Amino acid sequence: MTKPKDVDFSLVLASSVHDMKNSVGMLIASLESYIEEFPPTNERQVKQINTLHYEASRINSELVQLLTIYRMQNNHLPLRVDQHYVIDVLEDQLARNHSLLESRGVHPRLECDDSLEWFFDADLVGSVVQNVIVNCSRYTRAQLLVSAKVEDDFLRIVVADDGGGYPPSMLEAPSGLVQSAEVNEGNTHLGLYFAEEIARLHKQRNRVGYIRLENGEPLGGGCFNLFLP
Amino acid sequence: MTDINYSKLRILIADDFSNFRATVNAMLGMLGVYQVDTASNGAEVIDKCQRKTYDVILCDYDLGPGKNGQQVLEELRYRALIPRRTLFILVSADATKDVVMAAYDCEPNDYLMKPINTQMLQHRMARLLRQREALQGVYAALEAEDSRRAMARLIDLSLRDTRHTRAAQKMLGELFIAEGELNKAERLYTKVLEVRPVDWARLGLARVKHLMGELEIAGDWLEKIVRDNPLYLPAYDVLANNWEQMGHLRQVQTTVHRSVTISPKSILRHKRLAQVAERNGDYTTALQALRSTVRLGELSCHACPDDVFNFARIASAALEKKLHPAEPLVQETVAVINSARARFPLSREQRTRADLLAARVFAQAGKHDSAQPLVEAAETLVRCDEHVPLEVNIERVLTLQALGENEQAETLLHELLQKYAYDQSALEKLDTLLAEPVSETNRAMVAAVNREGIELYNQARFEEAIACFEKVRHIFPRHVGVQLNIVQSLIGKLRAGQKDAQTVSSTEQALATIGSLIEADHSQYARFQRLQEMATSSMALTGQ
Repeated sequence: MTKPKDVDFSLVLASSVHDMKNSVGMLIASLESYIEEFPPTNERQVKQINTLHYEASRINSELVQLLTIYRMQNNHLPLRVDQHYVIDVLEDQLARNHSLLESRGVHPRLECDDSLEWFFDADLVGSVVQNVIVNCSRYTRAQLLVSAKVEDDFLRIVVADDGGGYPPSMLEAPSGLVQSAEVNEGNTHLGLYFAEEIARLHKQRNRVGYIRLENGEPLGGGCFNLFLP
Repeated sequence: MTDINYSKLRILIADDFSNFRATVNAMLGMLGVYQVDTASNGAEVIDKCQRKTYDVILCDYDLGPGKNGQQVLEELRYRALIPRRTLFILVSADATKDVVMAAYDCEPNDYLMKPINTQMLQHRMARLLRQREALQGVYAALEAEDSRRAMARLIDLSLRDTRHTRAAQKMLGELFIAEGELNKAERLYTKVLEVRPVDWARLGLARVKHLMGELEIAGDWLEKIVRDNPLYLPAYDVLANNWEQMGHLRQVQTTVHRSVTISPKSILRHKRLAQVAERNGDYTTALQALRSTVRLGELSCHACPDDVFNFARIASAALEKKLHPAEPLVQETVAVINSARARFPLSREQRTRADLLAARVFAQAGKHDSAQPLVEAAETLVRCDEHVPLEVNIERVLTLQALGENEQAETLLHELLQKYAYDQSALEKLDTLLAEPVSETNRAMVAAVNREGIELYNQARFEEAIACFEKVRHIFPRHVGVQLNIVQSLIGKLRAGQKDAQTVSSTEQALATIGSLIEADHSQYARFQRLQEMATSSMALTGQ
């Protein structure tokens, strides 16, 4: 028999997270087809369904991040940079969250040149954008803007909303956010840590990717920026 | 997204969860697709593809017991059950290493991560279908085996700056290489790399260099590629080819071993590892690789009876060298042979080989009672056949030797030598059974190795001399001259003061082997006796 101490806990955790992610995936798919078939008939139902939908999406994207971090740390999944049409990756993420955004009455807008190409790991960058979109769906009032363009030889991906914006503590936080302090406050900022790690993995010559949080422009709410060399 | 006529599309959904099949089916319904088939396991997908041509196959990686999505695609491609224009989309719960490996090895047209919804499906399919439309002419030309026309179209697409430029460039590079247009391929990859060092173009350029014979450069580049992206399996394959062409079999083995460690599910790489390990005389690795080959073969289109025969052959060699505990290995080998009898429709020749191999391992384990009836069965089969293939006859000789029927073995061997007296390639195969090779190539090889080894010995470079002789020892284990040269080098080492336990035991082992090969009337018997005395006195000094 295997003694508990022989088991690599992080491995057990990772495989359990993997299972959970599959289950949540099924949950979201079932929920979406349920909403399709039985649209909510009153305000209360809309609210309940929205909560269900948002929380499930949030769990899903957090689990994806956990798995990705685990794999990156164990060198199971190195960066795979290839050339992509930026609009494809952004469209994918909006499509992935279409139902969530629609049920919350959020109208997403995508601004990206159809022929804009860039070099990056589409799975990783996609999951960063996905996470920010899910987050925005919760805090925005009605608008969501996803855009991408080239600035100073960096690809700048922006996810902005018209909500209340990021709290000051997050705006001021230096790099390497989620060391330990925030965990105690019940908010691990896992998403930010993840985004920062993914950005940093993208290197080109001497330049390294980074993220920046702002409030205000362009929609008056929070604005997440991902810069990739 | 209005340019796609969804009502005309034929789509196959494969997933072991009925829930998922129904959900995706409903999504497709909303897009206006109504010609949808479903499959719940790999065998069903293969069966359905034999009956119908689909536009899109949405196949989950995990299909429950049986083949997974990658194995399904491998078989569909290998047996040419789907045309190029069929789009295969691999669906998975997340981007695990297995899925990434699958993407490198069997190149699905795309892969999708669950959970999926109608909008995602629509975006992806629209993108892929538009690409297919753009490449339609290329596919048609390739299917008509008109590579000139395919090239012309791809060049046209690569030059125009469209959404399909990159796909066209990738295909064009492959096609240039396949058609031997290396200079054109080199120009194409170089042009792509001027913009950014993408893996596929780096590998393409390294392949071109390899094929041009610039092996040093190709090797350097390939090492860099796998250092930057250790999961990039195709690069290891080319790197192994590169080492092979340079004649460094050890490096070939190391490289294939690395790729197998990263992707333990690739049966073809296990086969290659077994092959090269056998050539290197590393039976432990060869045996392990063949064990994996046989296991993976249960679900692979690349399985064949030879995998089992090779396993039994190497198991037998390992038994002879006493590398592994006999009993479990004999049982395993017999079980593997029996499973092959059950799984493959074996020809008479193959049945004979199976019997002989089983008999041989039984005999090696001292179970002559179990071996005898199998040998008799094999001999009956042999008698019915006018043209017994050489491979079967070699098995017969080895089995007779294992049974201790040395006279019969010698007679048969003698007959074979006469029969194949003018067939050099047959003689090369027979050489492995003989004390001295008879084929010209092998004679020349042994002579060259002996010359080189003796030169090293004369310079007192004993370690290198031993390594040199070892190169031929495992190919011609019954070659007394080579064995004696090794002993002499070992003694040189002992006398030079290197009296470690390893050297002592190697010397003892080599002498024992020679003792079993040689009789008093052998031309080298006197030399053997002399070396034996020298060894004893050198080793005795060790003890003090």
